[in-house]
This record gives sequence, structure tokens and C-alpha cells, in this order.
Amino acid sequence: MSELRERRPIRLVVNGQPVEREVAVRQLLADFLRDDLGLTATRLGCEHGVCGACTVMLDGQSVRSCLLFAVQADGTELRTVEGLADGERMHPLQQAFWDHHALQCGFCTSGFLMTALDFLEKSPNASEAEIRQALSGNLCRCTGYANIVDAVAAALKGNP
Amino acid sequence: MKPPAFLYACPRSLEEALDLAAAHGDEAKLLAGGQSLVAMMNLRLAEPKVLIDLNRVAELGFVRRENGSLQVGAMTRHRPMEVSPTVREAEPLLSRVAREIGHLAIRNRGTIGGSLAHADPAAEWPLVAVTLDARLTLRSTVGVRSLRAREFFQGPLTTRAAPTEILTAVTFPVAPTASRFAFHELCRRPGDFAIVAVACRVTLDAAGAARAATLGVGGAHGTPLHVPEVERILAGSRGEEAAIREAGDAAARAAEPGGDVHGSADYRRRMVAVLTRRALRHAFGHPQVPS
Amino acid sequence: MSAGGTTAKLLGARVRRLEDPRVLLGKTRYVDDVRLPGVLAMAFVRSPYAHARIRSIDLQAARRAADVIAAFAAADIEPFLPPLRYDHDPATGRAPCRSVVWPVLASGKARFVGEAVAVVVAQSRAAAEDAALLVEVEWDPLEPVVDLERASEPGAPLVHEEWPDNVFQRVAVSLGDVAGAFRGAHVVISERFRTGRHMALPIEGRGVVASWEEASETLTVWASTQMPHVLRAEIARIVGLGEHAVRVIARDVGGGFGLKAHVFPEELLVAVLARRLRRPVEWIEDRREHLAASQHAKDQIVRAELALAKDGTMLGLRTHVTCDIGAYTEYPWPTFEANVTAMAMPGPYTIAAYAYETLSVATNKCSIGAYRGVGQPIGVLALERLIDVGAERLGLDRVEIRRRNMIAGPEHPYTTVHGTQIESGSHRQCLEKAVEMIDVRGFEARRQQARARRRRRGFGIASYVEVTAPSSQVWQMLGPATGGFEPATLRMETDGRVTVAIGVNSQGQSHETTFAQIAADRLGVPLADVRVVQGDTATTPRGWVTGGSKSAVATGGAVLRAAAKVRAKLLLAASRLTEIPAADLDLQGGAVCRAVDGAAVVPIRDVARAVWLARAGLPSDEEPGLEVTTHYEPPPLTHSNATHAVEVEVDVETGEVRIVRYVVAEDCGTILNPMVVDGQIQGGVAQGIGSALYEEVVYDENGQLLTGTLMDYLPPTAADVPRVEIVHFETPSPHTEGGMKGVGEGGAIAPPAAIANAVADALGEFSPRVNRIPLTPERVLALIEPRR
Repeated sequence: MSELRERRPIRLVVNGQPVEREVAVRQLLADFLRDDLGLTATRLGCEHGVCGACTVMLDGQSVRSCLLFAVQADGTELRTVEGLADGERMHPLQQAFWDHHALQCGFCTSGFLMTALDFLEKSPNASEAEIRQALSGNLCRCTGYANIVDAVAAALKGNP
Repeated sequence: MKPPAFLYACPRSLEEALDLAAAHGDEAKLLAGGQSLVAMMNLRLAEPKVLIDLNRVAELGFVRRENGSLQVGAMTRHRPMEVSPTVREAEPLLSRVAREIGHLAIRNRGTIGGSLAHADPAAEWPLVAVTLDARLTLRSTVGVRSLRAREFFQGPLTTRAAPTEILTAVTFPVAPTASRFAFHELCRRPGDFAIVAVACRVTLDAAGAARAATLGVGGAHGTPLHVPEVERILAGSRGEEAAIREAGDAAARAAEPGGDVHGSADYRRRMVAVLTRRALRHAFGHPQVPS
Repeated sequence: MSAGGTTAKLLGARVRRLEDPRVLLGKTRYVDDVRLPGVLAMAFVRSPYAHARIRSIDLQAARRAADVIAAFAAADIEPFLPPLRYDHDPATGRAPCRSVVWPVLASGKARFVGEAVAVVVAQSRAAAEDAALLVEVEWDPLEPVVDLERASEPGAPLVHEEWPDNVFQRVAVSLGDVAGAFRGAHVVISERFRTGRHMALPIEGRGVVASWEEASETLTVWASTQMPHVLRAEIARIVGLGEHAVRVIARDVGGGFGLKAHVFPEELLVAVLARRLRRPVEWIEDRREHLAASQHAKDQIVRAELALAKDGTMLGLRTHVTCDIGAYTEYPWPTFEANVTAMAMPGPYTIAAYAYETLSVATNKCSIGAYRGVGQPIGVLALERLIDVGAERLGLDRVEIRRRNMIAGPEHPYTTVHGTQIESGSHRQCLEKAVEMIDVRGFEARRQQARARRRRRGFGIASYVEVTAPSSQVWQMLGPATGGFEPATLRMETDGRVTVAIGVNSQGQSHETTFAQIAADRLGVPLADVRVVQGDTATTPRGWVTGGSKSAVATGGAVLRAAAKVRAKLLLAASRLTEIPAADLDLQGGAVCRAVDGAAVVPIRDVARAVWLARAGLPSDEEPGLEVTTHYEPPPLTHSNATHAVEVEVDVETGEVRIVRYVVAEDCGTILNPMVVDGQIQGGVAQGIGSALYEEVVYDENGQLLTGTLMDYLPPTAADVPRVEIVHFETPSPHTEGGMKGVGEGGAIAPPAAIANAVADALGEFSPRVNRIPLTPERVLALIEPRR
């Protein structure tokens, strides 16, 4: 439809669950997840696409949810950190982060997990240098990155 | 930093999109990948009254090799450009450059058309389009025109596209056989906008001497800068250090860089020379450190 | 790695963190996750000028805008929210400073770009921002004062018109025979150092949610803070409530590094408006506000001189520190960064004569405040650079000159030129270890190989002594009027589970694990049976600040003492119940055991239950129950030490600096959890690398902020920060409970010095004057090829 709208209904799948809502077109996808769906693990660290804290998976690809409007997610499948674990059983990436002390304050962690998830699927044989490059779009102020790199490397080996 | 209010349109065909562009002109902005535009809207540096979302216009996403050229639809995203075998076989400089753009999450959404239309002088696609003398297809409800990339960019974030026009495709020449390319970028951190970037392609004759060369500079001028003098300097050269130095100096002279917190004009000008030399040594297959 | 072993020793173990599952599974409660029904959002109108008089503010259009509840400027709020005031209190013995009046909303004039001028309260943040743009302010721009040296010159524009000049504080101290030391010097090395303003930049910005409940007359405030109890007291005082009527909750906090160890006008405004509007109100800072108007740090000029004897003995030191504090003091402490810079010298070196002056000046910029290490990285940078230059001048090896002047082990307790006592330290061991780790011996070969690739390699060393966990008395003299002690309330329940409530909260420092390790270890229960409670003033004993590298010492000490008391009572009760003497009993794996062979005698929980039911036969002078609150006041000063060494490679055509290797040999005394300590050091070094090479807050000559987004302010990424190799020396403090020394800040203290020294070494043939950070490629290139 090419009508001009200020609000639109959207239908999408979030973490395997169908969702139907009406959204203001100006609402960012990150705010939709946090405010409308109560999925607050996706966090805002900059709102201009630099820090990576808001990263989610949209149709199987990592994207910055602060640079998407909720209305653009109509008809898509979204995956957030809340959808990584299988009940209480952690995803191997989450387990690896835990085992390797890859988080301190935790605020950037969701973004790193989703970035790593996409990267693992696309580059299963990555070297440490390639892992570092792949993670260089996510900012962390606490850890100095070394343990995050270790956790991703361990998850790559299937050896969390 | 919430974006201002706007009206949203989501056309499903190019025709619908063109009608919307015609109807709203400069009150509207086209939403492609959004990696620049939405950030600017969040910062309230862009406040369009109407946003025309091109992401459902399927006919704008394509990569085709035809008659010695590579045609790329404007809504083709950076990631497909990075991994496409068709692109890599036709012009590997494009694959090389695509993987330098931002980070994977940005490449998953950002588009080549969006990057060209946004016209950041430090961006990769504008530089490569100018270096390779690509042609851009612009459509509106009143017709279609084809512009050389070298004529398209007018200044920082400014192009010759009219507000009622949509950039629909970019056409690159297929790389000549026996030609080599290089791309060198100076950034503070990976994925940042380049402080200075240089792209080049050198075509060699049977004896290994340059019979054609093209070199472009990004980040050191109001627009991506093609430096024709480099081709003249390198004609017949086998990449001797003296010729490469001269080419570097020529590129530095041609550039009129601005300065910002990441580098002064003077620093950028010097880096144009340094990166030009490095890119050309690479293209000629010489060691990076001349003996 | 143990997941919480019941028989393995927990103190000193690499134990996985208890706080991680809720983060990884997405169940955290940072301040923006607090969702109160009907909450209103706030957005500020902020000054576009560095210095300008406010002629008028028209809020009418804003007030009429969609979804707006209210809008305020200074005149509207001053009746119920007067300006913050900092006044020097002579009774503290601190150096005097100017009184600072900090209006919550700019009143009369704005003093820095980004200063809050008006506030809009609306149904949503988007609506508040829309309306904020409708506020009309008439400005009369004034000449700003931006340069920190010109700020103290006569005739400079006044940031605060009630001050005679822009000087906030002047300090002058002379220790030992400085004149004599310099007279007798064989050589004097002088340099002027300039450190670029930078900032903590936690990934979570500031944020506050406040809610007033009429029925209980309680104001509840959720805040992203490093000091819930201190914030509570300030809010109560300023809002006009009893402290007992205010509750502050900091559940999860996304990093602080010192920035959130402050009270900000915005926080107070949220609290006050929640009460007045009778609706919950929130303010979640966005990144643009954070970069412009939260808190900056370390904008200094240090002129320093080192007097050396011919054999390299360091005879005397003179420094003058000028610090740009911005428009207002940090709050509620008087800005103290310059003094920390001065007092960070002479560090681990046996210099007996030292004269320093500090000058803290106000300018039309955002205020600065304590950020990881405060002034210590700058003091260490200055001294370590002077030492390297001195070594070169005297023809001495850079490591040897340090060896000759470092405090040796047997000299502890060592009385410094400041009159303070360094109770223990491993300065020389750390130096030798770092030198060995960076492979100084093999360096020349690596240097030559790099030359062949047109790169220049260098290595640099820097050592420091860090003052940690000051006592209450010392805190009040150094700067912040806080206590140095910390409490712990430890309770063993009737089922043997343990709750440890502490007075500080974590912003990533792993309190929920390390303090649980102490309790589990001392009480012999599984780690999973211990829960640390923090961050909520209603459920925790009253403490102070997570800062000053004090938590392991002060809170750790309190937890140790509380656990010792509960342990003693358990053993006494167990001895009564089992008729085995307490001295022959131990607590292990959830059971009371025979110490001699570890055989379990009775489950701990049975003993706990018996104590609670007063059936354990305890003597009548023993208090009932198994809950203990202790307060532990650490010794006046504790000291950690370390040496950092780094090898860099410089691209001499671009000026880019690559870190090849980074090593740390450090001593923070008793280690509670080596995994946590390593993480703190790795993270601190990353921030230090940021300050040395990447990060700078830049203002232009009109006081306009040029680094307004994260595209311009550049914290380092995973591709920029190497893996730090760390070796620990555990020299327990002889004075602190448990021997801990504090490690939160240390990693960030030495990197600028080590990296600056390494770059200077790499570029030696160009005789560079390395006296400035960050060492951006352009600045490095200027050291190689001076500008045409």
C-alpha cells in the first residue's frame, strides 16, 4: 500500500511467537521490542548505529534495531536474546560467555551474543583476528574484549 | 534521541515509488538501508515529512552481468555484494570494497544505491563508482537518464539527483583481463569511515607495462576524486618507484581535503600520497617496502 | 573451572559468576527496564552556546504540544529545587576552594554547551523531545573561556561572576629540601605534558526513574548509580524528605567507572518532579547528552621537572598541574583530580624532595569528575616520561635507572615524601617480571626486523603505586566527604542458606560472586547457597561508594568479619550439640565436620535451625539468631602496585601505532577470584589504551563540542585492544582484613605512560618530544615529520 500513514498494523514472529500490533511509524524497532513486547534484553547504547548493543536477528541476519523502524519488521522473523536459550538451557554461545567471564556489567552482552550468532553461522572457521574484526562493531567498556573473543572462539570450536 | 514524526509510505513497485517521489519531492526522503538516514533522523539532522520505504520494491534488488558490464540494482545490499560470485568474477574490486563497509550488521541492511545517493565523500561505493567510471540510472515519472558517477557527485552529501528521482541501478564495467586492482583505506578503527581511501585498477599489456590505469581518492575532497593525471604518469610504466611516487604526489596535489577531529587537511593530503603509493605498489604486484 | 564446588577452596578460586545467567538470559533490570504504569518521560532543552546570557525562555508552545504534561525553566523550579551548592568546609582540613553554585536548570546564563536550560515532561520521550524543540530561548552570547591556561589570566571571561577569577582551587605543597635537591642535580629534565580530555563512557548512560507513593509517603528512586546510599541522602536533603522516606534502587548498572559516583542535577530534578506531579517520572540519558553533558575527565597540563644525579639517583621533583574542571565542580565532592595527579608522584620511587602546585580552573565546558584512576594516570605519565628522558640524557639503561630508585622490599613499611606509609609492595619484583615478560633481551632483533618493513618498534615501561581503599578520615581530606568503611550484614537462614547484604553495588565488579565466595568459604556451604544482596537501600546496610578500588578491601573486610562471627557461633552451637570441642570442628561442604579427618558430623543447616529456635544451648550472654552486621574501617591507606610493559610498532608514513604486546605484573594482595581480577585489569588497560591512542573530547575555540557522537569520540574496539598477559604477585596487605589491596582502577593507571614511552622509544631516531595524549596518528606523524 502506498498510502501515507502515521500508524500501521504489523504482523511478525518474535522468538518463534506470532505478534500482531499497531505501531507508530516513527517508533524504532528497538523501542518496539522493549516497550511494546517487554523484551528488554535488547538495549540502547547510542541510538545511532555505532555501539551494537541493540543488535537482533531479522530474517536470519544480524541488524541494528536502532536503525530500523518497527513498521519495517512487518512480515519478518525476529530473534532476540530472549529467544536464544531453550527454556533454561543456554545456547552454546551463552554458555561460552558464562564459562569465559565474557561479561562484567552485562549491558553490551546481548548485542555481542547476536553479533556472534550471525558470525558463527557465516564464518565457522574464523581465526582470532577474524573474530576480533567481526566483533569490532560492538563496543564494550568493561571487559577489554579478550574474554569475549575467547568465548566466541570456544563456541566456534563447538567446545564452550 | 527519538526520530521526529513523519508519514510513511511502503510502495510495492518502482512505479508506485516514483509516483510518491513525484508527489512529495523534497519533502520526502527515500528509505533504503537506513544505516545513514535513520541515524540522522534519530539525531534530528534529517527531518523528512514523508519517508518512502524502498525495501519492498523487489525489482530494485538485482545483480546481472550483461555485455561486458555488471548491472547492480540500487537496493542490492552490501553483504550480497561482498559474497556474490557474479560480482567477484566481474569486478573483484567491488567484492574487496564491500567487505570493508562498516560491520556485518550494517552490511546486512545498507544498500549500494543508498550509499551512492547519500554521497558521503569518505564512503566506499561513491569512491569505487568514480574510480571505475560507473554509470548511474536515475528514474522519475517523466523519464530515465544515465549519469556518469564522475558527474553525479557535487559536494559532501550532495548529488545531481533531483528530489523526484530515484537512483535505480549502477552499472560497472567488467574488469579488463590482465588488470589488477588495489584498495587501501586509512581508518582509526575497523569499519569506521575512511580518513583517506584510495582505489585503483591498472591494466597491463603483454610486456607487463601499464596501458591503462584509473585511480580514485576518497575522504580527501568534497566528492570522491578521480585523478586522471595518474593514468598519464603510469602509461607504459612497470610500476617503477619513481613513477609511483610521482603518481602519489599528483593525487595529493589534486585533492582539496577538509579537516576534522580525525585528521587535518594537511594530514589527509599527505595520506593521499602515502595510500596512493601503497595502492599502486600493490596493483603492480611489487613489495610494499621498496628496496 | 569450578561452578561452585563444595569441597574445593572458594577463596582465591576462578569461579564462574553467579550474576551471569540473568544477563545472558535477558532477565536484567537496568534502570530503563523499570516499567512503571503511567510513567512520564523527560527531555531537556540544552544550551547550544558555551557561554550565553538567557534573556528569556518561552515555554508556552512546548506546554501546549501534544502529550505534554508540564515544562519548566529555572524560575519555575527554584522555589522548590534551589541550586546545588558546594561550599568548602574548613573543618575537613582540605585545601580551600571556591563555593560553587550549580543551578539545576541554567539560571541567568548557560555555562557550557549542553547545559540543561529547560525540561519538558510528557507521555513519551518522543513527545518530550518534540516539545523541547518548541521551547523558545532568547540568548545573548558571551565570550567563552575555553583554554585552560588563559582561563586563569587576568581579563579572562568569568564562568562564575561571583568569583574574582576562574580559579577554583590552588594548592601548593613543598616536601623535603627541594631547592637543595635541584641545586645538587647533575641534570634536570623538564617537560610540559598535555593530556586530552576524555571520559568514562559506560555503555549504559545515566538514568533515573522516581515514583512517589502517597500512602506510605515514600519516594522510590531507581538510578544507574555507583552509590545508592549517598544518592538517597542527597535526594532526601534536597527534596526535603527524611532519609527514611527515600528508597534508592540500583538493581543492574551498566558500567560506571567513577562517572556514576556522583549526584547530577537531572537525577534530583526527576525525584522532585515525581513528587510534585504525583506521577512516576523517568529520565533516560541518550548518548548525545552523555557525550556533551554528563561528565568528562583528565583535561590537564602538567609541567614537571626531575632532578637527577649523575648515577641516575632521583633527587627531587617539581610539578605544576593545571586542570580544566569545566563549568561546575563534580558533586557532591569538590573536584579533586589535579591533587590526585600531583600526589600520584613519586609513586614507587624513593624521591625525598617534592614540591607541587595544582591549579584547578573553571571553563565553559562540561564538568569533569573522577574517572578510573582519577589523576593517577597523568601523574604516572609525567614521571615515567621524565625518567625515560633522564635515562637517555645520562646514558643509562631505562630499566636500570628504575631499579636504582625503586622502593625495595625490605624498605617496607616505606614512608613516602608525602608522609604516607606504603605498608607493603612488590615494586621491584613487578618491574623485573614485566621486563622479562616483554622480552627486553630479544627486543633489538625485533626492532631490526621491523625496520626492514619500514616500521619502527619500541617498548615502554611504567610502574605505579596506587592508593586504594582510603579510610573515612583520609577520604574527607582527599576530596569526597564519604566514609571509607563499609558494612556487611550476613544472615544464615534456618535452612542453611546465606544472605550477604552489602552497602555498595556492582556495575560489573562481580560483587555477587566474590563476596559470596568469601561467605561460602568461611561458612563451608556451597556457593549456590549464598546470595549477595546489593543496590537497594531498603534491604542493605548503609554504605558508601563503589570507587577508589575499595570494594575488595572494605566490603570484603566487612564480609570476612561478619562471616567470622557467624562461623564462630555456628561452631560454638555445633560443639554444644555434638559435645565435640569447637576447636576440633570445621565447616565444609554443608556439614559440620571433624577437623582431623573431615568426617561429617551434623548438617550445618540443622545447627542453624537449632540456633534460630534457641535450642542450641548457647550461653545466655550470646545473642540469639545467626545474623551479624559489621562495619569495617580499613587502615588509612592501602597500596597496590604494578608494572606495565608494552611493545608497539609505528607506521612512520601514517603515524599509526599498533600494540604488539601488552604485559602486566601486578600485586593487589590477596586475590578473591583471579578471573575477576584479570577481567578488571584487562578492562582497565583497554580504557587506558583508549586514553593513550584514541579518545579525546574536543571543543573548538568557541566552546562548541566537536565530538558529539560516537562517530567522533572513539573508544577502542576488539580489533584495537590486545590480550593483556598478566602475572600476579600476591603480597597480602599486612593491615587489611584478609590482605586484599584493591584492583578496580589499576589497569587504567599505567597504559598512557607505558605507551608514550614505547612510542618515544620507537621513534628515538627522530628525537621526538612525546608529551601529549592521545597519540593520534597525526600527532605521531608530526613527531616524525614536523609540519611543513
